Amino acid sequence: MEVKKIFLPESELPRQWYNIQADMPTPMEPPLHPATGEPVGPDDLAPIFPMPLIEQEVSQERWIDIPEEILEKYLLWRPTPLYRAYQLEKYLETPARIYFKNEGVSPAGSHKPNTAIAQAYYNKISGTKRIATETGAGQWGSALAMCCALFGLECNVWMVKISFNQKPYRRIMMETWGAKCVASPSTLTQAGRQILEQDPDSPGSLGIAISEAVEAAVTGEGSKYALGSVLNHVMLHQTINGLETQKQMAIAGDYPDVVIGCAGGGSNFAGNCLPFVRDKIHGKEIDIIAVEPTSCPTMTQGPFAYDFGDTVQMTPLLPMHTLGHGFVPEPIHAGGLRYHGMAPIISQLILDDLIRAVAIPQLETFQAGITFARTEGFISAPETDHAVAIAIREALKAKEEGKEKVILFNWSGHGLVDMAAYEAYLSGKLEDHALAEEQIKRALKEIEPLPKPRQFTG
Amino acid sequence: MDKRPTPPNDDMRIRCPRLGHQVPFSYCRIENRGLPCFKTLDCWHSHFPVADFLKNALSPEEWEKTFERPVKPKTVSLLELIEKAKQVGKEGS
Repeated sequence: MEVKKIFLPESELPRQWYNIQADMPTPMEPPLHPATGEPVGPDDLAPIFPMPLIEQEVSQERWIDIPEEILEKYLLWRPTPLYRAYQLEKYLETPARIYFKNEGVSPAGSHKPNTAIAQAYYNKISGTKRIATETGAGQWGSALAMCCALFGLECNVWMVKISFNQKPYRRIMMETWGAKCVASPSTLTQAGRQILEQDPDSPGSLGIAISEAVEAAVTGEGSKYALGSVLNHVMLHQTINGLETQKQMAIAGDYPDVVIGCAGGGSNFAGNCLPFVRDKIHGKEIDIIAVEPTSCPTMTQGPFAYDFGDTVQMTPLLPMHTLGHGFVPEPIHAGGLRYHGMAPIISQLILDDLIRAVAIPQLETFQAGITFARTEGFISAPETDHAVAIAIREALKAKEEGKEKVILFNWSGHGLVDMAAYEAYLSGKLEDHALAEEQIKRALKEIEPLPKPRQFTG
Repeated sequence: MDKRPTPPNDDMRIRCPRLGHQVPFSYCRIENRGLPCFKTLDCWHSHFPVADFLKNALSPEEWEKTFERPVKPKTVSLLELIEKAKQVGKEGS
């Protein structure tokens, strides 16, 4: 019988996280404080984060030891199994060998506890009594709720009201783990009360929920705040995933030609892929693909070029991923996709050509999710389906080329509380529209006469 | 598939990449304290002419505020929220 799951013994659990900042060809520039214009210092963030996390946020150390107390908790679900997707390979009739790392086996059902447990621990040892956070559908909120329970911390989650009403199961999960889950906007904070005064029926937003959570952290005795994506320390904690995967691939006697992850805020992508980015920096030939859950093709189809930041050409020329300043949607011009919710580390690695970004239509992701469920059995979270879809594309490409490629993707979480999205797909309520090639060509013509930046990719 | 000419009603919901579940256009339209979410054009442009619709619906100032201002790095927006919260703390004490 062929080996389906590659387990790593608990004794082989990685003892350190990997910090890509030590190896990045283009070092990250520190953010500047909006009030002083000076680089942000540890004291600036101290009102909301404990000092060990702030130190990790700016650390340039390549390896950071994982405290024993965190390792003990990781053992609840780690090391997670690496699967060989034999049934999917057979269905696709591909010569490719497909592996997926199953992060859905954590108690909260996703990769999010990898950082939630670390954040809860560092808060605990720093004297924090309660952690405040915000959540949408609740994947992050439920992970933090569980991890706070494991370290005896209170957890207050401001859940966007529209999500609070639509996603009761995640809310109940948080409450089961002892968290207090509040619909945002709430009357508990000044930020929430202001919104409710203006609009008592406000459905809330992530922005409002973040304002409430930060206010609770800053004004509450013994309170801090936690974030589940984007920041450097979050990417760092997630790397335990990729470090395990490297050991498991070695057990399997394989090494990936292609590594794939879905990139929203960047944390699930970073977790599996960053250790492989390190290998790529040191000479390995790997295609590392960040799959965008978006319909806007700018980052994937637009070159990195100088363009105006606005349609009326009043701003200075800015280097950015662009399809021309006349192209809609304009948000891309206003700062570039690199800051649209994506971790700065991931954005920079894309710019440095170490990672390739790919956008994929919504319907293809759900079709892939259905194919995966009917071959490998697991029902993926909709975000995870983006990685599944590109893995299928790559496997079919290998079939066309007759190549025995090794494909690895991060299966970041199950979709058992996301069935409404599958229902919409199965009942035909979702639709896709492709952007016309002609429209893209017309848009790009606008930037032809402009000077080209050093990192021009056109 | 041809785009519809006007915003879809609330029966049609697409996945919000920020919240992680399905939302109607009517939510995206007011998500940012009454103004559209900054990703509205990105998410809806393939479903109907959302930019044309919003350019008519918003004042030039609202359009600029929503879509043409650079998005701040996360750390910077957190620092701004910390300063606001400190002010709330001072007023409350």
